[in-house]
Amino acid sequence: MLKEPLENPACIECGLCREVCPMFLILRQERISPRGLAILADEGVASVTFYQCTLCRACRVVCPVGHDPAGERIRGQVVAQGVETEANRIMIANIRQYGNPFGPLKEGEIPKTLTCC
Amino acid sequence: MMDLASLQTLVGPENVSASLEDRLVYGRDASRLRGECLAVAWPMHPEQVVALVEWARAEAVDLVPRGAGTGLCGGATPQRSLVADLSRLTRIESVDVEQRRARVQAGVVLETLNRRLALAGLFLPVIPGSHRSASIGGMIATDAAGLRAVRYGVMRDWVEEVTLVDGLGRVHRLSGDALNHAAGREGVTGFITEATVRLAPLPRQRSISLMAFDDEAALLAQRRRWLVPELTALEYLNRHAAAALGWEPRPHLLAEFDSAQGEIREPARIAELWRQRDGLYPVLAASGRWLIEDPQVEEDNLVALLSWLDAEQIPAFGHLGVGIVHPCFRPNDERIAALYELVAGWGGQVSGEHGIGLKKKAWTDDAFRAQIRQLKAVYDPQGLINRGKLC
Repeated sequence: MLKEPLENPACIECGLCREVCPMFLILRQERISPRGLAILADEGVASVTFYQCTLCRACRVVCPVGHDPAGERIRGQVVAQGVETEANRIMIANIRQYGNPFGPLKEGEIPKTLTCC
Repeated sequence: MMDLASLQTLVGPENVSASLEDRLVYGRDASRLRGECLAVAWPMHPEQVVALVEWARAEAVDLVPRGAGTGLCGGATPQRSLVADLSRLTRIESVDVEQRRARVQAGVVLETLNRRLALAGLFLPVIPGSHRSASIGGMIATDAAGLRAVRYGVMRDWVEEVTLVDGLGRVHRLSGDALNHAAGREGVTGFITEATVRLAPLPRQRSISLMAFDDEAALLAQRRRWLVPELTALEYLNRHAAAALGWEPRPHLLAEFDSAQGEIREPARIAELWRQRDGLYPVLAASGRWLIEDPQVEEDNLVALLSWLDAEQIPAFGHLGVGIVHPCFRPNDERIAALYELVAGWGGQVSGEHGIGLKKKAWTDDAFRAQIRQLKAVYDPQGLINRGKLC
């Protein structure tokens, strides 16, 4: 498993990460690509777009300089600025209140939906 | 104020955006220049590109064609423009194995195409450094070259026909000499929406020779000996670049052949050497030298160019078979201008393969600028498409 790097080289915006990103492969929109997210992070934009990243880090594997998208940390910063998806807000509230992301469950109940990011 | 609602009715509401996020990310490409993007459109079909151009004419908005945004000279950098991202034109329309040709939409990625062609023992052999992401449309627009240019030439050599939507919304099918109206023109004559490309058989055999030299003169003498028909790549590393890879700090040449001529024939060893060579730019970029240039000079001036870079202690590598060298600089290095003064003085090209875009306009000559203006008058008299690029 890839670890959070101690030093994270800055994105050089080459775009070589685009075609390994599972979200980009579907949406084909630069904002969703790892490069797009790095630009938004660099510009300090608090956006729900950061929730489109699956946190898979395929981009870091092919990145020429080994830039890490640091999606978890950036999401934390975005939440701290009051920007998050409704699904994420419910999931966090459920975990805090019920200890699981699904909300109140009866004994033996199998959740029908997973509220996630 | 442009009427984006009417554009949305033409290409679909989900295919147009003026959000802050989209404007920011489409304001840049791999050149790291910062432009100003007013909005973005993602045509889903070549016909929508025609509709987009007609809309832009009515609105007097200039358009910037964009492929994968991997260009290094700002060819896709907007200047208060609407960026038309062709990344969603990804259809491989046909592959004719017998005739060795394929018809593809502009947004098809080279690597995707070559993965599919490998099943038939074929490939499109122009392999730029950005091959993982580069789109066919962008490769034609920039006339891409790359590692195997010594054997396979440049993109233009592999294009049979291009469909171009010009600045008046007219659709042209260009072939023969007219290919030059689109290939290498960095989108200033219109949008490349589709192309027919020629394909080559995958080599059945590969071997490599790797040699270190005492100086550039000895290296260039060996270069001449290796320029044989079986040569498929001839890569140079100067001593500063070799040192960055942990190799002996001497100038190196790596020659690849599609015969048994090279001493290294084990596929694993060949793959490892290419892995190291592919890793060179990342190593240099990670050390802060991410600004990569691409001068090209004739054989007679190679020794002067390589010696100057060596004396200035600038790490450089390149495709020496075709005289293209990639010195890597830190940003704002004043020696970049000095380098191009020298190259221009030798009658060389300031851009061997990366293009002109916005970055290298100042280095083009009058004849080139006149040629571009003539093409603009025919294909884009209103100056709507990729304004201010090339000249």
